Amino acid sequence: MREQLILEMKGISKSFPGVKVFENFNFDLRKGEIHCICGENGAGKSTLIKMLSGAYAPDRGGIYFDGKKVTLTPHSAMQMGIQTIYQEHTLFPQLDVVENVFVGKEITNGVVVNRPRMVAKTREVLQYLHSDISPDDIVGNLGSGQQKTVEIAKALIQESKVIILDEPTASFGQTEIEHLLDIVRKLAQSGLSIIYISHHIEEVFKIADRVTVLRDGRKINTYAAEGLTEQVLIRDMVGRDVSLFYHREPVPAGDVMFEVKNLSGNGVRNASLFVCSGEILGLAGMVGSGRTELAELLFGVKTATAGEFFVKGRKIEMRTPLSAIMHRMCFITEDRQTTGLFLNHALDKNIPIASYTHDRSPLAMPADDARMARQYVDSLRITTPSVFQPVMFLSGGNQQKVVLAKWFATQADIFIFDEPTRGIDVGAKEEIYRFMIDLLKQGKAIIMISSDMPELISMSDRIMVMREGSLVAEIEKDKISEENILKHSIGGSVQ
Amino acid sequence: MNSNHSIRRLMRHENTSIFLVLLFIIVAVYLVELFAVRGGDASKVAFVKPMNISNVLMQISTTGILAIGTTLIMVSGGIDLSIGQMMCFLGTGMAYLIRNKGFSEPAMVVTAISVAIAFQLLMGFIISRTKLEPFIVSLGFMTIYTGFTYLITNGSEITISEKFTFIGQTYINFPSGLRIGLPVVLLLLLTIIMWLVLKYTKFGRRVYAVGGNENAAYLAGINVKNFKLLLYGINGLFVVIATMALLSRTGVGGPLIGSGKEIDVIAAVVVGGTALSGGKGNLWGTFIGVLLLGCISNALNILGVSPYWQYIMRGGLIIVAVLLSYWSGLRTSSATVSVRKEQSAEIRDGSVSAS
Repeated sequence: MREQLILEMKGISKSFPGVKVFENFNFDLRKGEIHCICGENGAGKSTLIKMLSGAYAPDRGGIYFDGKKVTLTPHSAMQMGIQTIYQEHTLFPQLDVVENVFVGKEITNGVVVNRPRMVAKTREVLQYLHSDISPDDIVGNLGSGQQKTVEIAKALIQESKVIILDEPTASFGQTEIEHLLDIVRKLAQSGLSIIYISHHIEEVFKIADRVTVLRDGRKINTYAAEGLTEQVLIRDMVGRDVSLFYHREPVPAGDVMFEVKNLSGNGVRNASLFVCSGEILGLAGMVGSGRTELAELLFGVKTATAGEFFVKGRKIEMRTPLSAIMHRMCFITEDRQTTGLFLNHALDKNIPIASYTHDRSPLAMPADDARMARQYVDSLRITTPSVFQPVMFLSGGNQQKVVLAKWFATQADIFIFDEPTRGIDVGAKEEIYRFMIDLLKQGKAIIMISSDMPELISMSDRIMVMREGSLVAEIEKDKISEENILKHSIGGSVQ
Repeated sequence: MNSNHSIRRLMRHENTSIFLVLLFIIVAVYLVELFAVRGGDASKVAFVKPMNISNVLMQISTTGILAIGTTLIMVSGGIDLSIGQMMCFLGTGMAYLIRNKGFSEPAMVVTAISVAIAFQLLMGFIISRTKLEPFIVSLGFMTIYTGFTYLITNGSEITISEKFTFIGQTYINFPSGLRIGLPVVLLLLLTIIMWLVLKYTKFGRRVYAVGGNENAAYLAGINVKNFKLLLYGINGLFVVIATMALLSRTGVGGPLIGSGKEIDVIAAVVVGGTALSGGKGNLWGTFIGVLLLGCISNALNILGVSPYWQYIMRGGLIIVAVLLSYWSGLRTSSATVSVRKEQSAEIRDGSVSAS
């Protein structure tokens, strides 16, 4: 058995400040096999890839390549023949296919690049992959399926032994998916080993030789694909630690506050949803399923190509975030640093800025701004030396509270939270949950996107699941379970 | 304790270091002139004579007015390299209209203001509606203005003898011999007005917001595109006011009147503490920056330094001033970080827990 292993991880541990991602983790990859990795958002798949590609070093434990213990760096991993193909494209879009696949490994006659030989070799590989891409095509002009093929061609040219594919079909159509799966099978038959990571359960069942399930940085099981059922796979993926759940107090829901019908555009297809006052509507789905894109449509950041908006039963026009703010909506974005805060500016300049639209006076007195900021520093318990402190010096949790203060100040009724507690510590997390419950008690409505399963389940009154740009399921409070959400998010033959 | 506190606040104020540099330069120039040139005879020091001070103020008035518009643009995260050449174009055009086309003064003023704002709006439209860099777009407009200027005059200067003298040749005379020209009054007045606007209006706060984080500003309900457009329009207004002041004072329009002004203006604004990346800066800083550069070139003239050396010294000074503000910025950051650490330590100890 042993000589068949190309890659092995033994007793791996890896932590980040405050979080233990991996603990005594074991994994092996055989020569010529397709090994699929499954797990929810945050199960540790990305960290695993990064350790294998040399981007992260494990704290403890060893990685063995071809039976020898190795220390991986991005450079040495590639030298050994471990090629990672990330979800997002990593090719040079201005260069042509030949230049991309040979980058760093150009064939030369002395110092001069031997282009004809490189072109010939590229053509050979592309033919082997049954691709109609020409070696002279500029990569930026290719579709995303074709670019993936170029990345695979690059892995072959660079004589890889292990290819790691991270969500390779994320933006693919059905025929592109089939084509890619064919290529992957062919590579495995020729003796290459493949690690294949996918949210799409159908793909996993189509190509896997073995499947490993991760949850909270632990390996739950490794199965031979033959005889494995969807039920078993989902059972392994769910079952988070109960201590992660938050017990919220129930609030009675009122009338419909906000509704959209048949919304399309920005990668979203025909989405309809509503949310009542006193209610949290959770939006579930895998990363990349289109939840943030939907939120951007809801708040007018991107313009919908079709669809209708209603606030408290009245039809409204949604053009820009300004129209949304005028209709008492707000949007707490997932990335507070790039879209939520003015990092160089102090709290007294950050907090009032969105409220300026609500009265006609052209004046903004610094004393009023400071008073408003102080009021929210007290009520949200923001830790800061003063309201004149630039927000870049605050901790993540306090920064998030500044974003909340900015929107609370607008007296909004409809709140869209995108990953409300990402990257903040447990104490601040619970505080944010309490603020959300307070909002509900005041009759506000909340739409919450979250990839944190315990958060989504404990906070939501109702959950809608998104997959590939569409809302595919609606789950009422009493039917909310990890298993139920996951079944809809990863697709498959749902009963 | 209280006065100590206010001194500390003053030291931390964003304009303090640049103001201290200005004072240092003034004292240094005075002493150098006193001992090296005038042999210790204080009564002969030209640098502090009322006549010289009047001249310096008059000379900086054009740069100063331009710098107000540029401060707005730069705080909002943009830049405009075209102002110098636009000034040549506007000045030459105005001289041409009044001298060769028989325009009355009011008609010429109205035409000039309309043309300036229209061109800046066109540039602002291109910058705000596309992802093109304002640096490149304004470089293009700069060259276009040069072309227009030469088309109007074929390269020669146009003098407008005894016409349009009101702005440039109205003075307030003080008993000490100080003569403050109307352009200087305009500079002070516009600086005060725009300082109030930036500090006490929503418009002002939005200038900083757009420059601080354009995405966040858009999500906070600011129509970023139209806002930028508006700012370039306002900048056009300041360019045309500066041009009128200069034309009225010198009576000459031609292809050299504003040549290189953009460098002086951007230098003064940056020396005054405005960040090239946007979101930070203020008009008093800019004013002191303009004054500082004005004093330096005046001093170098008085001390008889060759104009060629003056370029090198001015360039070096810009770099030193920016370095100083960079260092003082680092100092404030580390000070605030340590304050935060103390505070969070207090909170861990529970001493602030009841707040």
